[in-house]
Amino acid sequence: MRWFWIDRFEKFVVGKEAVTIKNVTLAEEPLDDYLPGHPHYPHSLIVEGMAQTGGLLLSQMEQFLQRVVLAKVTKADFFFVAQPGDQLRLTAKLLGRQAEGAFVEGTVEIDGKKQAEMELTFAILDESFGKEPFFIPRDLLRILRAMRLFEVARTEAGERIEEPQHMLDDEQAYLASHPF
Amino acid sequence: MPSSEEIFQKVQAALVDALGVEEDEVTPEATMVGDLGAESIDFLDIVFKLEKAFGINIPREELFPDDILTNASYVKDGKVTEQGISELKARLPWANLTNFEQNPRVQDFGNLLTVNDLCRYVATKLG
Amino acid sequence: MRFCQLDQITLLEPGVQIKAVRKLRADEDYLRDHFPRFEVMPGVLMLEALTQAAIFLARATEGYKNGLIYLESAKNVKFADFVQPGETLSISVEIIKRTENTTLVKASGSKEDSVAVSGRLLLKHQMLSGTVEPSTTDVHANVFMKQITDRLLKV
Repeated sequence: MRWFWIDRFEKFVVGKEAVTIKNVTLAEEPLDDYLPGHPHYPHSLIVEGMAQTGGLLLSQMEQFLQRVVLAKVTKADFFFVAQPGDQLRLTAKLLGRQAEGAFVEGTVEIDGKKQAEMELTFAILDESFGKEPFFIPRDLLRILRAMRLFEVARTEAGERIEEPQHMLDDEQAYLASHPF
Repeated sequence: MPSSEEIFQKVQAALVDALGVEEDEVTPEATMVGDLGAESIDFLDIVFKLEKAFGINIPREELFPDDILTNASYVKDGKVTEQGISELKARLPWANLTNFEQNPRVQDFGNLLTVNDLCRYVATKLG
Repeated sequence: MRFCQLDQITLLEPGVQIKAVRKLRADEDYLRDHFPRFEVMPGVLMLEALTQAAIFLARATEGYKNGLIYLESAKNVKFADFVQPGETLSISVEIIKRTENTTLVKASGSKEDSVAVSGRLLLKHQMLSGTVEPSTTDVHANVFMKQITDRLLKV
């Protein structure tokens, strides 16, 4: 089981707001007998999807170099369960940011109906947790490309953003050392 | 400029939301850490809620003078020196430091902050 | 139920509390993504462990009637510490209040002596039949959930 709980970015405004989609499918592991006869998607994973959406919105501001973790769910309210075939649309808004962390408000919709609302606090971990980011830059770059982040991302002024140089360098170094 | 009653109600609401405590627990004299159980991760949440409720910006060092409390020139043997106390008073003019001054142990500082202190801080930012 | 987050139920007092344990094994597949350079249990899986324990408690408490019980609302869920491979989370859930179709609990997960996760959870109970009488889906779901509860108690 991988740990990707969003499928694709639909919108990404630097430092402000991101929208992702997550398709719920009968074949994914968490649905296996989560409730026989009424398969549905665990709400904790919807929180994770929002944490991934908001967390990437936050860490992009420092070129994905920071160590960002979910520290607190102030509140998360769910109005009905999501079922196989449903597509979740997750909107994360970055409402405040300080050196130690940030605050995100999130809403989830299915077919235009509000399925969930939540408030999340992220912590930005200091160097006592190590100096490197948690993700290997070239691997994270590949995943973000697959999720179309750089395709849809824009600054508030409407400009496209570039793939971070340190990630491109890491990718280049790896490919150069693995010739055919 | 909102009245002190209005400020208290908004601060109270922010603390009820952020800490999951009941309204009647959030009295003016209640300490954030001791009485209301606030932990460091809650402070981020509280700061964001106050910024949103009052339209103000709260730089961390205005509420949490970590830089003074960890500065070797202002702390000796785990206690804040006289110079350090003056720095604290200058940085946090809205805080009531008289109790702290009696026994200014760095580790006790976090327990100082009361709901009232927070209201007075907000008032100074709005005034 | 492959997403089960509990290894064992150590105490079940319907109407009152449940205690359970969850050990993070080094070979759990998703750890390679969370995170590649810092393998820890995701906070939401800690939340899921608390939620599942609460749901097993709620099912036993209501006598296995409603087919669907789910997390309607989570409040002040704080992740105070990381759980690393090899470490065990001890889960404790207590009922605060019940109504006809909700259960409110306070829940926490601890490592040794310190609390790693805590929060308040509100569960919603729902009859899949859409009426007050259970359908076969409600009954079957409950047979299945009781089996899991019994298995976790016997470990």
